[in-house]
Amino acid sequence: MSQSRHKSVPFWMIWANPIVRRYARSRLRPVTLGVWLLMAVLIAGFMFFGIRAGAARTGMEDIDVARLPLTALLIFQGIILFVLATGQVAGSMTAEADEGVLDYQRLAPMTPLAKVVGYLFGLPIREWVIFAATLPFTIVSMWQGDVPLRIGLQLYAVFIVAGILYHLTGLLAGTVMKNRRWAFLSSMGLVFLLYTIIPQAAKFGLVYFKYVTIMPVVEECISHLIPRRAGALVDTYQSLVPSARFFGLNLPQFVFTLLSQGVLIFVMLTMLWRRWRRSESHLLDKVGAVGLFGWVQMVLLGNSLPLIETGELFPSRELGRRFGAIARINPATWKPDPGEALAMVGLFGVVSILILWWMTLIITPNYECQMRGWRRARKIGSARLPLTSDAATALPWVMLMIGMASYSWWTFARLLMSSRWFVGYEPSAWTLPAMILVFVTGGLGFHALLESRGKRATGMATIFGGIVPLFVGTVLALSSERLAAAAVWLMGICPLSWPVYGATVSIPNDDLPRQVAKALPNAFWFWQGVALLVVIKLMIELWKSRRKIAEHTIERINTA
Amino acid sequence: MTASNSAQESAIKIRDLRVDYGEFVAVNDISLEVPYGEVFGMVGPNGAGKTSTFKVLATLMEPTYGEVSLAGIDIMEHTEDAREILGYMPDLAPVPSDLKLWEFLAFHADTHRLGNRRQRLERVDECLEIVNLTEKRSAWCKHLSRGQTQRLVLAKTLLHQPKVLILDEPASGLDPLSRREMRHALQNLARSGATVLVSSHILSELAEMCSTMCIMNQGRILGSGTAEDLRRTLGRTERALTAVVLENAEALREWLNGRDGVGEIRADGKRVIFGYSGDDASQARLLTELATAGLGLKSFKEEESSFEEILVQVAEGNREP
Repeated sequence: MSQSRHKSVPFWMIWANPIVRRYARSRLRPVTLGVWLLMAVLIAGFMFFGIRAGAARTGMEDIDVARLPLTALLIFQGIILFVLATGQVAGSMTAEADEGVLDYQRLAPMTPLAKVVGYLFGLPIREWVIFAATLPFTIVSMWQGDVPLRIGLQLYAVFIVAGILYHLTGLLAGTVMKNRRWAFLSSMGLVFLLYTIIPQAAKFGLVYFKYVTIMPVVEECISHLIPRRAGALVDTYQSLVPSARFFGLNLPQFVFTLLSQGVLIFVMLTMLWRRWRRSESHLLDKVGAVGLFGWVQMVLLGNSLPLIETGELFPSRELGRRFGAIARINPATWKPDPGEALAMVGLFGVVSILILWWMTLIITPNYECQMRGWRRARKIGSARLPLTSDAATALPWVMLMIGMASYSWWTFARLLMSSRWFVGYEPSAWTLPAMILVFVTGGLGFHALLESRGKRATGMATIFGGIVPLFVGTVLALSSERLAAAAVWLMGICPLSWPVYGATVSIPNDDLPRQVAKALPNAFWFWQGVALLVVIKLMIELWKSRRKIAEHTIERINTA
Repeated sequence: MTASNSAQESAIKIRDLRVDYGEFVAVNDISLEVPYGEVFGMVGPNGAGKTSTFKVLATLMEPTYGEVSLAGIDIMEHTEDAREILGYMPDLAPVPSDLKLWEFLAFHADTHRLGNRRQRLERVDECLEIVNLTEKRSAWCKHLSRGQTQRLVLAKTLLHQPKVLILDEPASGLDPLSRREMRHALQNLARSGATVLVSSHILSELAEMCSTMCIMNQGRILGSGTAEDLRRTLGRTERALTAVVLENAEALREWLNGRDGVGEIRADGKRVIFGYSGDDASQARLLTELATAGLGLKSFKEEESSFEEILVQVAEGNREP
């Protein structure tokens, strides 16, 4: 009865992928594409000819004139590939889900990976074509500007890989989020964050984050992309900038950037693959989430630790090197400030706890998922759920991540404070217990609340226990010095402040105002004590709620 | 893949299927078997659990538990294989707004890898012809009416000549002519060996197109068989009998009153309608007595439960398995 069929299209044959071909049909219709192409070529052409014509009149040499439009063209290409295409992917994906087409598409007899690849390259196909249309301008500029082929290839390899990574974030946002506008805005916001806020975190010791952008590679290549005199100056400056350090390894920025982005691409493909395979699945399984958390902790440490002894990890060093005169920092006599180290340790803890919460959110089963898992287990006569199943409690895995986070935070703080820059500074005996406590209360509390009471209760707790005290405390602190101690106590309620407070308890700092220095440890230990009691209560509730579900499912199965 | 087309095996086999939405049980441990080449109907009021069952069968939803196989393929274990032989048409079928009719079908023909480009386009045209949309071939999907959209989705469902067709309320939005065409199309498919599972909340509509069917309510199957079987098992337990007399209906009413098995009596002009709970033999005796009682009996008729009446009773929970 069925017709003869060809073999299934492998996921890597992008050109033969039915979903790519479907979008090629709808998004590359001649009239619409023609208008877009015309606009893109006009803008790129204007940049190319305009900048060259202007520069030629200043008497610049031909090679320098040819190089001059490159930066503007790269920014324009970045806007097309990173901003427009990512927004297109997120928006279209949500639109398809909205209209119910996506559910229908699940039925297509293609492997989940082939479907993900189809949407990844199909949805932004017009933007890829427009991007390609602007390439001749950069190729000519590079050719006439004597840019080495290796530099061009490196640059565009990272450009394309980063583009795929951002499109995947858009695809993920579109798959997970219900609202088309939110999916579009959040993926746009993410790209914006990556190039504005995240690089600042990279300057405060979290070096890894800069490798999710194309900036390290652009910095490595920039001397070849600008006029030669400026390029020589950059070269001199860059001789001071190290290559990518990863524990004992010295890797080119290009290689480490590709490695970092490659891992993230793999993770996102896994998430999307799981969702396409089964729409109810968690984005990552428990082992995968813990593995990703471990990887992030490892790269955070691996990128930052080798830069401690050379001083390159400290933001003030970079500040002194670039703006020494303005910032009144003499690079020759520069020395990091303990307050700077304290901020870095605090930030490391804050980022770790945020990633811990994110992973917890992914792997914690909701009520429905638990119920379904238990009923299934009961049906096959099993007394317990498989530990790695989506329906199983996330508790042991959260504890494992808490262990990893505590260890890496402790290692970072210990090595930072025992470095040659802070001779005489010894972490207090309370450092390790304080660090573990922060993750136990923050991590376990979040998990227990989420698993026993659900997302809505956790959201409310986040608003009233996290955001409100932080905002009110900040307003108090800014309004009057006399209210600083009260502000410290109020902000201490927020779990995000705990790593910062924990760092100040562990690392003595004379620069803090007296009343703040006095209030901080008291507020920290008090709120940790309160949080510990809340966590114990929540854990008991969690245990009870899981037991209730387990018993309830026996009753329901028996009465069915 | 474990597919086999043996005569003994059922085309659709469901065992202990259960679907929960939190505390709500949408499908409650149902089991069902549909033989090859059958047009099987599933009828039930809204919220009966039909769509949830269909979504599981269509591999769009993971059940709480249960086993489902289509043409011998375990859909949970070999989902991709099951999708090769499965055609699913949802109740509110979505179509993309940025494609033309032939492009939409060509895309799905592509995903099913139906030969080369020429063969795929030929199949697209065949299916457009089956659903009577050939003249709309190059129209945009977004410009179709509700009925035309349903027909387009049916064409998409037939595209790869599936062994098992799962159609959720396929006739909704169709005019009587299109319904008749759809009925013929489904019967032709069944004759060619495909198995069709179709749902509706209009029992009489299913009775016309299905060889067998089942009634579902509150997640359970209340009965299955041919339309007549269902009428017998789920229709009224008390027969409704109508007697028409020449003149005095009141005398007939008095005569019936108090007799064994006679329930509620209602007189309407020269007609008397009454409930009777006796068996066939006692009903025959009653008729003989009535005919010889000198009441001027003109005609005597046993009313059958209508399909809609059965469904209303089922929906109201008046019939339990």
